[in-house]
Amino acid sequence: MGRRPLIHRSPMPGLGLSMGITLTMLSIVVLLPIGALLLRGAVFGLDGIWDTVNRERVWKALFLSFRLSLFAAVFNLVFGVLLAWVLVRYRFPGRRLLDAAVDLPFALPTAVAGIALTALYAPNGVFGALAKEVGWKIAYSQWGIFLALVFVGLPFVTRTVQPVVEEIEREVEEASATLGAGRLHTMAHVILPMLTPAALTGFALSLARAVGEYGSVIFIAGNIPLLTEIAPLLIVIRLEEFKYDEAAAIGIAMLAISFAMLLAINLIQIWSRRRIGHV
Amino acid sequence: MHIEIDEISKTFGTTAALHPVSLAIPSGALVALLGPSGSGKTTLLRILGGLEFPTSGRVLFDGQDATGLTVQQRRAGFVFQSYALFRHMTVFENIAYGLKARPRASRPPRAEIARRVQKLLELIQLPDIGARFPSQLSGGQRQRVALARALAIEPRMLLLDEPFGALDAKVRKELRQGLRDIHDETGLTTVFVTHDQDEAMELADLVVVMSGSQSGGRIEQIGKPQDIRARPATPFVRDFISA
Amino acid sequence: MSDISPPHFRAATEEPPLARWALIGIAALGLAVLVFAPLIVVFAEALAKGWLAAVKSLGNRDALSAIRLTLTIAAIAVPLNAAFGIAAAWFITKFDFRGKAFLITLIDLPFSVSPVVAGLCIVLMFGANSWMGGWLVANGYPIVFALPGIALATMFVTFPFVARELIPVMIEQGRAEEEAALTLGASGWRIFRTVTLPNIRWALLYGVLLCNARAMGEFGAVAVVSGKIRGQTATMPITIEMMYNEYLSVAAFSLAAVLTALALITLLLKALLEHRHAGDLAAARRH
Repeated sequence: MGRRPLIHRSPMPGLGLSMGITLTMLSIVVLLPIGALLLRGAVFGLDGIWDTVNRERVWKALFLSFRLSLFAAVFNLVFGVLLAWVLVRYRFPGRRLLDAAVDLPFALPTAVAGIALTALYAPNGVFGALAKEVGWKIAYSQWGIFLALVFVGLPFVTRTVQPVVEEIEREVEEASATLGAGRLHTMAHVILPMLTPAALTGFALSLARAVGEYGSVIFIAGNIPLLTEIAPLLIVIRLEEFKYDEAAAIGIAMLAISFAMLLAINLIQIWSRRRIGHV
Repeated sequence: MHIEIDEISKTFGTTAALHPVSLAIPSGALVALLGPSGSGKTTLLRILGGLEFPTSGRVLFDGQDATGLTVQQRRAGFVFQSYALFRHMTVFENIAYGLKARPRASRPPRAEIARRVQKLLELIQLPDIGARFPSQLSGGQRQRVALARALAIEPRMLLLDEPFGALDAKVRKELRQGLRDIHDETGLTTVFVTHDQDEAMELADLVVVMSGSQSGGRIEQIGKPQDIRARPATPFVRDFISA
Repeated sequence: MSDISPPHFRAATEEPPLARWALIGIAALGLAVLVFAPLIVVFAEALAKGWLAAVKSLGNRDALSAIRLTLTIAAIAVPLNAAFGIAAAWFITKFDFRGKAFLITLIDLPFSVSPVVAGLCIVLMFGANSWMGGWLVANGYPIVFALPGIALATMFVTFPFVARELIPVMIEQGRAEEEAALTLGASGWRIFRTVTLPNIRWALLYGVLLCNARAMGEFGAVAVVSGKIRGQTATMPITIEMMYNEYLSVAAFSLAAVLTALALITLLLKALLEHRHAGDLAAARRH
């Protein structure tokens, strides 16, 4: 370790200034606040955190958040890959409009998305009324949460997969055909494996986003404890009761679980990248 | 297999790629399509392989009209200029791909596939690389793997697009002999595209010299290498082979 | 592609027309239900009682103060994050040091933290019952339930946007041009202004655009730190929530429509940038 200097000498100006701004702002805006959360947890103690988290209402909320996020991310994985393929490979009227629409969930404030989805899917909304006809309750049920999470995670997979679809060499697909493979076989065995690393990246981003999502969910969820109450909402409720320790405990649990998930997905991704290699 | 190209033409949109051309390739021959870029030689090869469809004219395999056959139905072993190996598969999986892609009824059992792949790896003189990924191979090795992959489907003919184009001079010479050997061993009708006249003259039984123009590529001369050298049929051929 | 050929002449790299149209249909239907319908409903609900009611509700004191607050927050958070993004990208791409990958991970951290947890962190750090917050409040500088806290929470959630956009672009461009300027005797500030900035301006604008859209729309983090004091710490999204919960549908959706229009303008500018200046944006954005 001692052999490599911490910072290599460079004739480039601005080292002190750029490093100073970077580290100072990173510390004030991100690191110290996160440190404050961890410190609060440390003072509260592992027992305290465990006692807080180990209650039915908290478990149910955490489990609900992660389970529905996973479902939404899986939906977005499938739909996102399909969308990326359609937008890159096919030419049809309205393609540019669809392409632009994919980004809307990035640009639209979550609270706006929340009230808009609720207005649509509530029993008196346009789609909600249709669903009600067949006895399907979307808003104010877990379906509503799922829908909101699908919405906020929609762009990730498409945007990571699109450039990869563009780079697929036609010759590779042609090679598969000359070897006798039908189009479906080529799709399943040649094209999809090539898209996998990028799709997994998008999946991970979509999952991370959904797990922490608050604004678009709380309007449509109904927020019934044990049934449709998500973990971030529980933190907000604890804060409003001035139970800072309990809020911190749930916050730390969420951080821990989402980092564990991101780590797992990163490992899968490294593994699949390695398999494909770089020619 | 005997291949006959009957008045084939091809236009892409408004650009003409091939002026109607005709050509008969005897069964078991090793044929070079030689010409500069824009002479339509790759287009002609892709039409034979079923990757492109002619605007007019017919292709006959052993006297039967094959113009409407899909790529999959043609069973032409095709080696691409970039090799187009599947990056996410090992060499073994690449070569086994065509056999595994067959419908269940005609798919050989697992052990048989493994045996055939191993035989092909020995044919290309790389018996020990089955477990590697394409990214771990040299250019020459990739080319040979692409050849083995094309041979695995028991093709009716072998089509190669600039098979040595991406290699350095030394490897190129070695692999030329390798292709000749494999051709002689399998007896497959083989057509390859090249812009390198030495390669065409040295390797092929029959050389087809092509030229490009506004109205599309056309065939200038068909003949044995020594005949073309001795008696160029047109000024174009004379210029091209003396260049 | 081969239009003249009979239908069974399909290129090997194309799906059968039926499959193609089915896939296009699924894509269009999915986006219609998930994206276009919510978009339309925002404007439909805002105009449910006519233009006049919608415009009138925007002139309401609470709505006006929310708009003013949101603009103020964006005017603070976005330039600061842009400055950070430029500094961080310069530090990371112009120098070699140990722990660079770790630093990039730390900068990206806010993307994997729930906005609510981000707000919670700031409350725990600067809240009245923390030692630092207590001292600040005692000296008349409250952070939480006040403007600085909202700005800080907004900065937290939008922290990586500009840096993430600039780093790949500046890596791609390398250091050669700056080094050349250096040998010609230019000062550091001059090099940045005349060599680097012209090369990164479109990427910078792109990052600022995304950062701004998120800053104006942030809800979760702000909901936690703002205290939701009407007319004082309620931003536009917070005010939308309050109005919605009070069944002031037209007012809530009118304010939402303003934010939606902003989102649409953002998308339009973004598409324009991607179209016009694709070469100057990060490689992943070129499509």
